[in-house]
Amino acid sequence: MQLDLTSKAQLGKKKISISKILIYTFLIFVTVIYIAPLLWIVMVSFKTNKELFTNPFGFPEVIQTENYVYSWVNGRLGISLINSTIVSVSTLVISMLVGSMAAFAIARLRFKINNQVLTYFLIGMMVPAHCLLIPMFIMLAKVNLANTLIGLIIPYATFALPLTIYIMTGFFRGIPNELFEAACIDGCSIGRIFSQIALPMSRTGLFVTGLMSFVSTWNELLLAMCFISSPEKKTLPVALTYFVGPYETNYVKMFSAIVIAVLPTIIVYSMFSNQIVEGLTQGAVKG
Amino acid sequence: MHKMFSDKRAVIAFLLPALILFTVVLFSPICYSIYISLCDWKALKPPTFVGLKNYIKLFTRDEIFGIAVKNTLFFMVFSVVSQLVVGLLYAGLLTNIKHGRNFFKNVIYLPCVLSSAALGLMFCFLLKPTLGINQLLALLGIEGPMWLTEYTGFIPLPMWVIAFVALWQYVGQNMMLYMAQIMGISKSLYEASYVDGATKVQSFTHITMPLIKPMLATAMSLNCIGSLKFFDLVYNMTQGGPNHVTENIATWLYYKGMGLFQYGYASAISVVLLVLCMLTTLLVNKVIRVENYEM
Repeated sequence: MQLDLTSKAQLGKKKISISKILIYTFLIFVTVIYIAPLLWIVMVSFKTNKELFTNPFGFPEVIQTENYVYSWVNGRLGISLINSTIVSVSTLVISMLVGSMAAFAIARLRFKINNQVLTYFLIGMMVPAHCLLIPMFIMLAKVNLANTLIGLIIPYATFALPLTIYIMTGFFRGIPNELFEAACIDGCSIGRIFSQIALPMSRTGLFVTGLMSFVSTWNELLLAMCFISSPEKKTLPVALTYFVGPYETNYVKMFSAIVIAVLPTIIVYSMFSNQIVEGLTQGAVKG
Repeated sequence: MHKMFSDKRAVIAFLLPALILFTVVLFSPICYSIYISLCDWKALKPPTFVGLKNYIKLFTRDEIFGIAVKNTLFFMVFSVVSQLVVGLLYAGLLTNIKHGRNFFKNVIYLPCVLSSAALGLMFCFLLKPTLGINQLLALLGIEGPMWLTEYTGFIPLPMWVIAFVALWQYVGQNMMLYMAQIMGISKSLYEASYVDGATKVQSFTHITMPLIKPMLATAMSLNCIGSLKFFDLVYNMTQGGPNHVTENIATWLYYKGMGLFQYGYASAISVVLLVLCMLTTLLVNKVIRVENYEM
């Protein structure tokens, strides 16, 4: 019996090592598919237009940093970058604060319709922003918020709410009751319990929802394209689409603009990327 | 304790901001949208109530809307199936390896966080008739197809191209959801199965698959909604062209509403889109009945 087990284990090991090679080869192949186009953009953004057409896949002969200068200055990317930052950060703060407050109430406070309220918020996940494009466009014009950044922040924050509430409810439900009881006995108010116990205990959840709402706001195109008309209030994705029209022939400049536009999300992502799976496991799976 | 946590004022203070935002910004526009869809409203003229005229026109006389619905449904079926298969494959592989799991996971998820406007522009260049990928193919002596300007066929080639680009970009999202669910499964279940002599494949089909069913429903409904409202890549790669063959519901809605300022008509399209979203979500959750296992 003993022998049988060990030989079985050895057999298993051998099998695994072959399958491991296959798995890793496959994964490296996949990595190349994912990374190559991105590296290609960076490489191309340092070329001249002529080089791009004659030798699109080689290294640049001379590194052309002027592409970046041009797209930054003439493409007004600087101002768009500031706009995008203002919009994304405000959205992040509002949706996280309002969303986690609501999630705390749903998960921890006692009233009769907790689950119904949660369902009401989750319906929001089913509603695509496009459906609200026209009515919101008209409504924003009526309250004088058309063509303002606030007119973008409010819908963005609202659209980020359902996911925030969904994930944060899972996190708050996972905190052991004893902690809250102890805090109560020590005379903590409900506000302090929320801000000094519940929120810090759910840090991973905040990272995940924050990352998701930041990324989707930063990349949102349709609403930004429709609600903002003056050039000095455009966000980055909208500014990018302008490189196709008036700068038709200037592909290298477009690619340098693309690099500038995606760099901030890559930086934010690389800071929080390792928390995503852990956050989803606790928030969406166990909640 | 009990008293403090059921304090009515606290409940209201915590819930009210979210409820107000949600009701004012999300639900009132939906109702308003239904009203607008029943009106004849072109930008500068005041709205006049016309009943179901917009809907009748939409379903009987608008050929491009038909194309848009066909493309959207194709795109939805393609993404739901492909993302499910590829996403599960990645998640299954990554949860089974020891080294480099985080690296591969981060690489595959990376395109999800990038702007699809930017990626759309990149692929638009790479897939031009005489540039990019076709230049590479020419080196091998193959004449590449017209990736984004071919307009024949029931599902034209550009639609397939966009669908594959979307798969490339968004499959990471599904992988993350499945990985999260798989990590939540207790290790002892797998250990028990190995003791009983199960192979890795067997334990995947008999333990992992049944236990990730709830996430399957979530991921599939997110996929359905995501592909029904799909806009950015189409807009940046083909703008619905050539000759409207790659138009989908979202781009057609944008064109009618913001290009031609036909508010009433565009609202009718958006109501149809909303109904489609609700129906598919209900359908997905009906079909994948969630049974609760002890994890």
